[in-house]
Amino acid sequence: MIQSIAQKEFVSTLRDRRFVVLSVLLLALLLAATLVGRASYRTLQQERMVAQQTVNDQFHHQPNRHPHRVAHYGSFAFRPRSGLSFLDAGLDSFTGASVYLEAHQQNSVNFSQAQQSGSLIRFGELTVAFVLQVLVPLLIIFLCFSAFTEEHETGTLKLLVSQGVPLRRVAWGKIAGYGRAVVLVVGPALALAAWLLFGEETFVHNADVWVRLALFVVSYAVYFFLWIVGAVVVSARQRHGRSALVLLLGCWMLGCIILPKATANLGATLFPTVTKAQMDADVHEAAQKGINGHDPQDQRTAALKANLLKQYGVDSEEKLPVSVGGLAMAESEAYTSKVYQQHFADLTGTYERQNAISNWVGLLNPYQAIRPLSMGLAGSDFAHYVHFQQAAEDYRYQLVQRLNGLQASMGYGDKERKLDAATWQAIPTFAYQAPPVGWALGYLLLPALALLLWAVGLSWLGLKVIDKTPVV
Amino acid sequence: MKIFWILVQYEWRHFRAAKGLVVLTGLVLLVGLYGIYYGTTEINRQRQHLAELPTLARHNVEELKAKFPEPEDAGNIGYYHTTFAVHHPLPWASLSLGQRDVNPSYVKLRLLGLQGQLYAAENVNPTKMLSGNFDLAFVLVYLFPLLIIALCFNLLSSEREQGILPLLLAQPVSAGVVVGAKLTFRLGLVLGLAWLLSAVAMGWAQVPLDARVGLWLALVTLYCLFWFGVALVVTAWQRPSAFNAVAMVGLWLLLLVLVPGLLNVYVAAKRPVPQGIELTVKQREEIHGGWDKPKAETMNRFFALYPQWRDTTTIKERFVWRWYYAFQHLGDQSVQPLAAAYTSGLRQRYELVEQLNWLSPAVNVQTSLNALAGSDLPTHLAFQQSVVRYHDALRAYYYPFLFNKTPFTHADYAGEPIHTFTSTSETPTAVQGLWKLLISTIVVGSIGWWLLRARPVALR
Repeated sequence: MIQSIAQKEFVSTLRDRRFVVLSVLLLALLLAATLVGRASYRTLQQERMVAQQTVNDQFHHQPNRHPHRVAHYGSFAFRPRSGLSFLDAGLDSFTGASVYLEAHQQNSVNFSQAQQSGSLIRFGELTVAFVLQVLVPLLIIFLCFSAFTEEHETGTLKLLVSQGVPLRRVAWGKIAGYGRAVVLVVGPALALAAWLLFGEETFVHNADVWVRLALFVVSYAVYFFLWIVGAVVVSARQRHGRSALVLLLGCWMLGCIILPKATANLGATLFPTVTKAQMDADVHEAAQKGINGHDPQDQRTAALKANLLKQYGVDSEEKLPVSVGGLAMAESEAYTSKVYQQHFADLTGTYERQNAISNWVGLLNPYQAIRPLSMGLAGSDFAHYVHFQQAAEDYRYQLVQRLNGLQASMGYGDKERKLDAATWQAIPTFAYQAPPVGWALGYLLLPALALLLWAVGLSWLGLKVIDKTPVV
Repeated sequence: MKIFWILVQYEWRHFRAAKGLVVLTGLVLLVGLYGIYYGTTEINRQRQHLAELPTLARHNVEELKAKFPEPEDAGNIGYYHTTFAVHHPLPWASLSLGQRDVNPSYVKLRLLGLQGQLYAAENVNPTKMLSGNFDLAFVLVYLFPLLIIALCFNLLSSEREQGILPLLLAQPVSAGVVVGAKLTFRLGLVLGLAWLLSAVAMGWAQVPLDARVGLWLALVTLYCLFWFGVALVVTAWQRPSAFNAVAMVGLWLLLLVLVPGLLNVYVAAKRPVPQGIELTVKQREEIHGGWDKPKAETMNRFFALYPQWRDTTTIKERFVWRWYYAFQHLGDQSVQPLAAAYTSGLRQRYELVEQLNWLSPAVNVQTSLNALAGSDLPTHLAFQQSVVRYHDALRAYYYPFLFNKTPFTHADYAGEPIHTFTSTSETPTAVQGLWKLLISTIVVGSIGWWLLRARPVALR
C-alpha cells in the first residue's frame, strides 16, 4: 500500500509543471554551484600551492646568513583547501589564506576572500552546500505543503480512509514518494561531484575523501528526510493549503535565516573577543617576565651566562663552545611561544564558546545541525582551521628553535659570522597534512546527534499526531 | 473616496482579527529592535576598543621611557614604539554595519616597512562572520520583503477562494479600488513599521539630523514600494494564493539570493584580484635582501628618493639604524606597483558591482545603505590611504633624528604625529542608488497597474 501511494505521489509530482520547472532550476543551480566551486577550488589551490612552493624555494636558496637573520626572514604557511571544500566552502572565505611565520611572534592569518568581495558575499555564497541547506528545503516545502490539504479539500482523503488505509500508512507513502522526487533533483548533482572527485588523480586512492563524501550524502539525506516529514505533518494538521504553506515558510525563514544569524551574534555578545591590539599587549607584558633574547643587559641573560660558565668550567664567554646569544634566544622563544600559545588557546576557547551556542541551538533548529556537520565533513569548519593554525605554529616553533640551535653551536662571536647557504637546504619546509575523518567526527557528535534526534523525533511524534488527526 | 476609506478600515479590522498576521508583524518589530540593539552595541564595542588604543600606546611609551631613561638613538625607539591608526565609525554605521566586521578598524604601526603591517587581520570569529551581521539594514533589506509577501500573497485570492469576491464586486466599487484600499492599508502598516524602526535606530545611534536622514528614509520607502509593486504584479496575475506565495518567494529568492550569488561569482571571475600573497612575499624578499646587499648600494637608492638626507659619510659599521630603515622603506617601494594593483583591483570589483546592481534592488539598497553609513569598501580603502600618509608622516618625523644623529629625548614622544580618520558618507553613491531604485520601482509598479487594468478580475 505504501508503495503504491509513493508511486502515485511520485508520478503526480513529475506531472506537476510547477515542480518540474522548479526542480530543473534547482538542479541547474546545483550543477553550476558544483562546477563554480570546483573551478574556484582549483584556482585557489593552485595559487596557494605555487605560493608555498615559491616561499619554500626562496627559503632553501638563501645566501650565507646568520641563523637569526633567517629566523626573522621566516617562512609562510599557506592553507591548502580540503578536497571536499568545493561542495561546502564553509569558513574558507572568511579565514585568511596565509600566515607569516617568523621569530618572536605569532601572526594572524591574513587576506580573506570576504575582504575582497565587498558586501555581495553577505547575501550568501552560491555553493552546493548553500543550495542543499537552504534552497532544497524550500523546494520540499513547495512540494509537500499540499500533501494532505489537497486531499482534504477535494475529499479524496475520506475515500482513502474509508477503504481501511490507516492515515499513518498514507503519510509514509507520501513521504516515500516525495523522497524519490527529491533524490531525482539532488542525485545527479552529487553524482557529478563524486565523478569530479574520482577524476582527480590525487583522490583516487584516498579512502578518507570517500568516507567524508559518503557521510556528507547520508547527512543530507537525513536532513531532507526530516524536512519532508515535517512538511507532511504540517500539511496533515492544517485545513488549508495556504495556511500550511505560510506556516512552513515561516519555519524556513526562522530556521534558515533569522536564528543562525541571531545565535551567532548572541554568542559574540555573551563571550566578547579580546582585540588583537590588547592581546599583543598582554602577550608582550607576560613575555617580559621571561628572558629577553634581544637584551644582553638583561639580568636573566646574565644568570644564564653564569650557569653556562659553571657548566663548562670556564671563566669567560669567549671560551664557551656555545653562543650565549643563541641559547638566550632559544629560551626566550620557548617562553614567548608558551605565552602566545596560552593566549591563542584562550582566544580559540572564546570562539568555541561562541560557536557552542549555535551548535546547541542545532537541537532546536536542524539547519544549525546540518551546517556544522556539512562544513566539518568538507574540512572547512572552525576545528579544521584551528588544526591548520596549530600545525603552522608547530612548524614555526621548530624552525625558529632549530635556527637558534644553529646559532648556539656557532660559539662566541656568532654575530660577526654567517652560516653557509647549504645549511638552509637541510631544513625541512612547511607541509600541511589535513586531519583524517575520524578526527573530524569527534567535533561533529553534537550536530549529528541533533539531526538524528530530529529525524527520529519527527517521524515518531509527527506520525502519531497524524494518526490522531480526525478526517472530516 | 469614502468607500476607499471604509475598505481601508475594514482591512484594519480584518488584520486585528487575523492573529497570525499580528504575531508576524510584532515579530518583525521585535526582530527589527534586536537589529538596532545589535548594530548599536557592535559599533559601541568598536568605539570602546578604539578608545582603549591610546592607553595601550601610552603604556608602550612609559615602558620605553623606563627602558631608555637617557636620550636614545631614535632607531631603537622607532623599532620598539607602536602607534595606532584608527578608523572611527560614523553614527550611521550602527544602522548598517557593512564590512566593518571583516575589515579591521585600526592598524598597529611601527616604523618598519608599511606593507608588512597594513593587512594584519583583527581577532574575529570566522564562524560569526559567516553568519553575518544582524543590523537594521539586514532587517529592512532581507526581512521586510518577506513581511510584505506574507501580507500580500492573498490580496484578492483569499476573497476569491472564500467566495466573497463576487459579493464584494457586486457593490458599486471597482476591483482597482479594492486592491488599492488593501494595498494602502498594508503599505501604511509596513512603511509605518519601517519608519518607526528607522526613527528608533537614528535616535539610539544619535545620528546628526541632516539630509542623510531623508536619503535613508527615501531608500527604505522606495524599497518597500518596490516590493509592493511586485505584489501588485502577482495579484494582477490572478492565480490561487498558494501560487502567489510560491511566485513571490521565488522572486525574493531570485533577487536576494540568486542574483547576488551569481553576481559574486561573475565579479570574481571578471576582475581577478591577486590574493595579496604575492605582495607580502615580494616585500619580505626585498626587505630581508637588504641585509645582504652592499650598504652603499642601498643608501644610494634611498638617497635618490630622499636627496635631502644625502650624507657624505660611508657606513662602515656592521649595523646602523638609518641603513636599516632605508631598506625597510625600499622594501615598501619595491612592492608599490603590486600594492596599487591590489587596491585598484578591489576598487574595480566594487565598481563593477555598482554598475550591475540594478539587477537586484536588494543589492542596490544594501550597497547604498552601506555607502551612506560609510561602512563599505571605498571607505576602508580611504582609511588605508590615510594609514599610508600617516606612515609617511611618521617616517618624516623620525628621519631627521636618524640622519642627523640627533638623540631622541622623552619630550620627543609628544611631538610624534597622531593619526585619526573618521568615515564619511558616500552620498553620491547612495543618491545614485536611489535613482536606480526609483526606476525599478516605477517599472514594476506600472507593470502591475497596467496588468490590473488590462485584465478583468476573475471572480472564481
